[in-house]
Amino acid sequence: MAWEVRVQESPFDVGVEQARWFGNRHDIGAVVSFTGLVRDFNERPDVQALTLEHFPGMTEKALTDIARAAGERWQLEGVGIIHRIGRLAPGDAIVLVSAASAHRRDAFEACDFVMDYLKTRAPFWKKEHTASGDYWVSERQSDRNDADRWERQ
Amino acid sequence: MTLTHLNARGEAHMVDVADKQETRREATASGRIRMRPETLALLAEGGLPKGDVLATARIAGIQAAKRTHELIPLCHALALSKVTVDFELDEIESCVDVTATCRLNGRTGVEMEALTAVSVACLTLYDMCKAVDKAMTIDAVQLEAKRGGRSGDFSRDTAPGLSIPTTPDAASAPTQAVDTKTTVSKADSEPSIRVRFLAELRERLGHESLTLPVSALAEADIQGVKRALRDHQEQYAMLDEPRILIACNQTLASDDTRVEPGDEVAFFPPVTGG
Repeated sequence: MAWEVRVQESPFDVGVEQARWFGNRHDIGAVVSFTGLVRDFNERPDVQALTLEHFPGMTEKALTDIARAAGERWQLEGVGIIHRIGRLAPGDAIVLVSAASAHRRDAFEACDFVMDYLKTRAPFWKKEHTASGDYWVSERQSDRNDADRWERQ
Repeated sequence: MTLTHLNARGEAHMVDVADKQETRREATASGRIRMRPETLALLAEGGLPKGDVLATARIAGIQAAKRTHELIPLCHALALSKVTVDFELDEIESCVDVTATCRLNGRTGVEMEALTAVSVACLTLYDMCKAVDKAMTIDAVQLEAKRGGRSGDFSRDTAPGLSIPTTPDAASAPTQAVDTKTTVSKADSEPSIRVRFLAELRERLGHESLTLPVSALAEADIQGVKRALRDHQEQYAMLDEPRILIACNQTLASDDTRVEPGDEVAFFPPVTGG
């Protein structure tokens, strides 16, 4: 299985990335891509922007481990992960996960798995900027429960 | 002790030095930039895409010293008689140590010039190497010594020390500056652990990293690191909060993970990406 993980400030284009990752392969029957966007409401309303911080080196390693774990669990032809860092505005795309497989079920589940693990294991931190001040976003129990689903299976 | 750059109303003002007597002034500052061992090897071989890294950084440092007054609002423009910028490649610590010395006969000190030279030389090193290594960090930019002038001579080696010599590495640690007069050279020559704090934890503690000598640890594990920090300052007790995560050399670790000299231990809050 081929994989690529990238942490970058610049925006990405889902179509371009998907074509670059999987465009010239004829054994792939399914590509499932998830794009995460910045919402304008979270712990407080009126989120004006958020700043994403990562741990250079460790973040890339964690993402690679997650991609590999997905490859061991499902029949995948490829996994691509892009996560943006720096200051982002509501509506901006923040994360892209694409999983490619011969048949759709593997790609669907692997994409879901990678996102659940990314949210609970990859060192990224969000600070939200709102009309009423800045704060670091807290972890969510629901994200942990989502990731735990895969441990039980 | 007063702040000479503030007037009686607390406003910023440039100190009038016309009546001060000219004396010989000299200041030496140091700093360092940490990088991956492969980057340092490329730098040593001259294999980096932007060419002769050290020569460029040296010129940048000298130019910066001459232009300090354009950058720091209340600094006087000085006719420096001498500026030197030197580099030492440290393969064990995987960093480049930068030293700058400025001298003149004049009425004001030259420590800001020496500090600016070091800072800009480090930034230029970053620029020259960033194509191959974006995770480099610039550490411990500080005054080593100054001579001449009314405020007298200063030498970091003779400044009062701490009970345990933790050395906040980054210039981003203003709140720590007062109680950290320990020498970096001392910390460098001693086997030490590099400790980093990320995201919310960095903001709560007020600084990003520090160097902890192995001799300060009762136990050579993460628990020992936490205890040494807490004994040093009560604020580090927050590292014991159960939600705080730990990585040793960028791999998740726990309290009983062993640490060795040269290791990097990072503390951070639960992750919130995606």
